[in-house]
Amino acid sequence: MSYIEVSELKKDFIVHKKRQQGKLLREKDTVHALKGVSFTVERGELVGYIGPNGAGKSTTVKILSGILTPDSGSAQVGGIVPWEARKEHVKHIGVVFGQRSQLWWDVPIIDSYNLLKDIYRIPQGDYESRLKELTEALQLEPLMRTPLRLLSLGQRMRAELCGSLLHRPELLFLDEPTIGLDAVSKLALRDFLKWENREYGTTIMLTTHDMEDISALCSRVMVLGHGQKLFDGKLPDLLERFDTIRKVSVKYDDPAPELHLPEGVTCEQAADTLEITYEPAKLPTAQLLAILQDSGNIRELTLQPENTDHLIAAMYKELDL
Amino acid sequence: MNILRLYFKSIGMLLRSHLQYPGSFFMQTLAQLVMEGGEMMVVILIVDRFENLAEWSGSNLYFFFGMMAVSFYLTELFGRGITGDFPGMVRTGRLDTFLVRPRGVLTQVLCGGTDPRRITCIAVGVAALIMGSRLSGIVWTPLKALALVESIAMSCLLILGLFMIEGIFCIYSVKSVELVNAITYGGKSACQYPIDIYPTPLRALFTVVAPFSLTMHVPASWILGKPLYGWPSWTAFVTPLSGVLVFAIMTCLFHLALRHYRSTGS
Repeated sequence: MSYIEVSELKKDFIVHKKRQQGKLLREKDTVHALKGVSFTVERGELVGYIGPNGAGKSTTVKILSGILTPDSGSAQVGGIVPWEARKEHVKHIGVVFGQRSQLWWDVPIIDSYNLLKDIYRIPQGDYESRLKELTEALQLEPLMRTPLRLLSLGQRMRAELCGSLLHRPELLFLDEPTIGLDAVSKLALRDFLKWENREYGTTIMLTTHDMEDISALCSRVMVLGHGQKLFDGKLPDLLERFDTIRKVSVKYDDPAPELHLPEGVTCEQAADTLEITYEPAKLPTAQLLAILQDSGNIRELTLQPENTDHLIAAMYKELDL
Repeated sequence: MNILRLYFKSIGMLLRSHLQYPGSFFMQTLAQLVMEGGEMMVVILIVDRFENLAEWSGSNLYFFFGMMAVSFYLTELFGRGITGDFPGMVRTGRLDTFLVRPRGVLTQVLCGGTDPRRITCIAVGVAALIMGSRLSGIVWTPLKALALVESIAMSCLLILGLFMIEGIFCIYSVKSVELVNAITYGGKSACQYPIDIYPTPLRALFTVVAPFSLTMHVPASWILGKPLYGWPSWTAFVTPLSGVLVFAIMTCLFHLALRHYRSTGS
C-alpha cells in the first residue's frame, strides 16, 4: 500500500452569485473543484503539483491536510483518513501556505516556536535538538527575537518552514512556497527542501506556478486542470510532450530580404528584427539556419532560450485550460 | 490540564506582545476607563434624578450594572479570541491554520486572543458592585457569595456562546450577520438594568433567546433580597446554568458547522 492513496476524489463548491435586480433570491452556481482525481504517492517522494489558478490544487491539499471534507471518493495518508481523524492525522503533517502565516504576527518567532512545542506536545529534548538543526539550516539565529511582522518575505518563509517542521512531520505540504521571493532566497529554499527530503525521507508535495521549482526539486510532476488530473509522470516526459517550439530572431543588413520558409514556420517582423517560430522536430535547426544564411547578409542572430512560462502557457493551451 | 497550561502560556505570550508598546497600551487602557466610567456616570445620573426604577432602588441599579460590567469585560479579557474577530477568522480562512494542528479548534481560537485593556472596565464594574452592595445593605453569606460567583461565571459562558453565533453563520454563508450584535452588545446595554422594567417582547428575548435575565437577574435579585417574580431561592442557583447550556449548544453547532467548512481561496 502506498503512503498516500487518493481515489476518485470529488468536491463541489456552491457559489452565490450577486443578486440580480428584480429577483428575490440570489442564484446559485455549482463549481466542480475536483471531478474525480486519483493518484498515489510513495514515502520520500518529492511531487510537484501544477495547474492554472482554480484548477483544484489547493482543494486537493486542503482535503489531504484535513481542512476540507470531500463530497465523495476516498483518501488515506499513512492509513489515516484525514477528515475523519483530523487531530491524529495532523500530528504527522506540516503545512505551509504561501500567503497565510502560521506563526503569531506580533511576537518574536522563538516564542511562536515555544508555543508550537506545546501545541504538538514535542518533548523538550527533541524540540531543542530539532530547533537547533533547523535554525542552522535555515540561518534563522539572528532573527529569533524579531517579531514576525518585521521580517522580509524571504525571512518569513524560512521562519514558517521552521515552524512547520519542528514536530518532524512525515509529510510536508507547500502551497506556492517561492511566491514573491528573490533569486537568492529561492535557491536557498530549494536547497533546504532537498536536504530535508534526503536527510529524513520527508515526503513533500508542492504546488507552484514556478517551473524552476519543479525542475530543481521534483522527480515527479502532476498537472491538474478543470478538476481533473491531466498528466502524471517525470518532468522530462512532460517537457517532451509540450516543449516543442523554438524561436530565432534575426537581423539582416538593410533591406531585409524576402524569406522562403517551409510550411509550419511562422515569421513576424518587429522593426528591423524577424522573429521566426518553428518546431525543431519538423524542421531541424541546422536546416533553418542554412535557409536564413542563404537569404541574405545576417548582422545579428539570437536563438532564444526555452522559456518555461511559455512552455506552461503552451501546455495549458493544448490541454484546453 | 494540558489545555489550561497551553491557554495561559498563549495568553502570557500575547500579553507580552501587547506590552511591547507600553505608551499606546497605557493610553488605550485609560480610554477604556473613560468609556466605561462614562457609562457608570449615566447610571449615577439616572439614579440621582429618579431615585428608583420600578421597585428597584438606585443602589440596586449599581449592583446590576456592576454584574454586567464584570461579566462582560471578564469575557473580553479572557475570551477575546471569540468575542474579537471570530467571524473574520472564518471569512479570511485563518481557521485553516488551526485545523492543521492537533488541537481542538475552539481551544486554539480561545488561545488566540486576550484584551488586557479591559482591566479598567472590570475595575469600574467591581467598584459598582461594591457601591451597590454597601448602599443596598446586602448581608453577605457564603451562599450569596457562591450565587454571585456562579452568576458571573455562567454569564461569561453565555456571552461566549452568543458571540459564537456569528462565527457559525459565517461558516455557512461566509457573510457577516450584524443582527447578532443586537443580542451581544445590545444585550449588554439592555441587561445592565433589571429585566422587569422592560416590556414583554424584550423580556422574552433576554430570557429565552439570550438568557441574561436567567444567568444574571434571577441570582442578583435574590442576593438583593427582592427575588425576581417572587421565585423561590433555589432558582437563583439553577437558572444561571442556562449559560453553560447555551455555550454547550453553540459548541456543538460549531463543530457540526465545521464539517461544512469550505475555507477560502488562496
